[in-house]
Amino acid sequence: MRVALSPAGRLRRPLPAVSGAAAIWALVLLAAVVAALLLPAFRSPENLANLARQSAVLGLIALGQTFVIAAGLIDLSVGVIAGLVVVLACALMQGDPGAMVWVSAAMLALGAGIGTVNGLLLNLLRLNPLILTFGMLSVLQGAIFTFTDRSVGRPSPQLSALANGSVMGVPHSLILLLAVAAALHVLLTRARFGHHLLAAGGQPEAARRAGVNVERVRLAALALAGFCAAAGGLVLAGRLGTGFPLAGAGLELDSIVAVVLGGALLAGGRASVIGTLGGVLALAMLSNVLNLMGVSSFVQTFVKGAVVVAAVILAQARRGGQA
Amino acid sequence: MSVPPLAETLAGVLARHTAMVMLLAIFLAAVMVSDAFLDPRYLGNVLRQAAPLGIAAIGVTCVMILGGVDLSVGAVISLTAVVCAVAMNGQPEALWPAVALACAVGLGVGLVNGVLIAVTRVSPFILTLGTGIAVVGLAQIYSGGTARGIVSPGFREALNLRLGGWMPVLALGFLGLAALGYAVQRWSVFGRQLFLIGANPRAATLAGLPVRRVTIAAYALSGLFGALAGVALLARSGVSGSLSGQGMEFQVLAAVVLGGTTFDGGRGGIPGTVAGVLVLVIAFNLVNISGLSFHVQLILMGAIIVLASALYGRLGRAGA
Repeated sequence: MRVALSPAGRLRRPLPAVSGAAAIWALVLLAAVVAALLLPAFRSPENLANLARQSAVLGLIALGQTFVIAAGLIDLSVGVIAGLVVVLACALMQGDPGAMVWVSAAMLALGAGIGTVNGLLLNLLRLNPLILTFGMLSVLQGAIFTFTDRSVGRPSPQLSALANGSVMGVPHSLILLLAVAAALHVLLTRARFGHHLLAAGGQPEAARRAGVNVERVRLAALALAGFCAAAGGLVLAGRLGTGFPLAGAGLELDSIVAVVLGGALLAGGRASVIGTLGGVLALAMLSNVLNLMGVSSFVQTFVKGAVVVAAVILAQARRGGQA
Repeated sequence: MSVPPLAETLAGVLARHTAMVMLLAIFLAAVMVSDAFLDPRYLGNVLRQAAPLGIAAIGVTCVMILGGVDLSVGAVISLTAVVCAVAMNGQPEALWPAVALACAVGLGVGLVNGVLIAVTRVSPFILTLGTGIAVVGLAQIYSGGTARGIVSPGFREALNLRLGGWMPVLALGFLGLAALGYAVQRWSVFGRQLFLIGANPRAATLAGLPVRRVTIAAYALSGLFGALAGVALLARSGVSGSLSGQGMEFQVLAAVVLGGTTFDGGRGGIPGTVAGVLVLVIAFNLVNISGLSFHVQLILMGAIIVLASALYGRLGRAGA
């Protein structure tokens, strides 16, 4: 199936999500200036490096979610995939430098494999993706707890260095995030796969008629999300220093919020890697500033929930405005 | 896409019977594993165990018939259990005001969900996950993150009392609320409207049904039943932590879907949900008896959510 998208067909060119991306970056910069002026601790180099490291985990996961949402789906299992990788990677590595390569490769394959299972089940059972990935969330969390209900193992020293080290003041994990983001940006905006993805997400029927294999595109998006979640999980394992069984909890919602803040449509067909990075930074800054201000973690939980609600309402308003 | 009413009812009846057949099958399996399942006292206890989950599932069923979903219910259970225990403060005379306050809090959360969904028409799945997190935050702020409050004397005793030596009051409360919910769903105008809106929201709007009002009422009801479930949980356990209802949304969703009320709306009902709740609770008991880890329950529920949704989706497509 190598039919090019016909301009005469009902497929319109996917709308660029640049306006949404520009909006979130303007907001992030404004908020950063205000925070730097009001909170001296915010502008210290250590805090900024810390902010970048905090963004890396969510950033990797949200990049995968960007492709899923662009395809008109949502993946609620990415947080727990990251959590599973944290536990398994630490349990398998046990601080052994020799285990770095094979365990990391195995974890990335595991993530992509779970994403592939999500995609296969989605196409086979024709289920709502929310229900499917919510069920997967439950299964995987159960699997983690059955494996262990307390923290286990230790990451390899290389993984700790990747997550916590820096070169000339720039954290390694930030470099990793930006490299992955650059590759995925090209994939989304320049490659045939990206065009098919946005077409399949925006108008699946029209895309199907134009020869896009919508099922295969959806499967690939979910597999990619699983892979990215596993990458996020590896960095998270390095940051935590131990395999904490609840490490991934809530990351799925944070990733959705980041993608939505970045200008994506929850209905699919519009998403941007650059916008998602802005959304990730916005969320990381929010929790960073609340921490610096000494706001209790309980209040932060409430704020987090309110941000999710605000973000979905914002996304809905955007959709209404476009239609 | 119009659905013939006859085929619609047929699919509905079939779906309801599927849940009953599952209940019968798992009950027989349970009896084969342990003859405790033939002891009325044990069965009464199973119903008592099921009460918080079952009561919450009744409210969520209404929302799901409408084509929505309420995943904030676990958080509402935690918050209302804490609010109720703190308001009781060990005083006998504070019992009823405390229960009323808990109900008001649950109703309030449900109203917020309902208004946001009815007015903005956002995805209820994501929205209620978000309000759920906010409500967990409220419960933590209110409780300080630990167990707080003392229940009134007589509260637990009254609700756990076994009438006739075997039927706990709590279990009767669950069955009573289920019967009430069934009556509302079956015979009230509101109940019919739920099904009509869930089956075809656009047609319902065009036909002039008060879609917004019914949506808000359904979510408010879900919040109220969440609060009653919180009170039931408090009566069962006697302890109110800010996390006591954590993860209940998975159980509730699994039970409702198992009972034949699918995510698509317009189908299912409370009898199916009651059967789904009992299947789930008996399955949990079997997991315990067989010595498997408690956490296997989570795997089981996830599998049930996926497979039951797929099964009923197929039945619905075949019937339509």
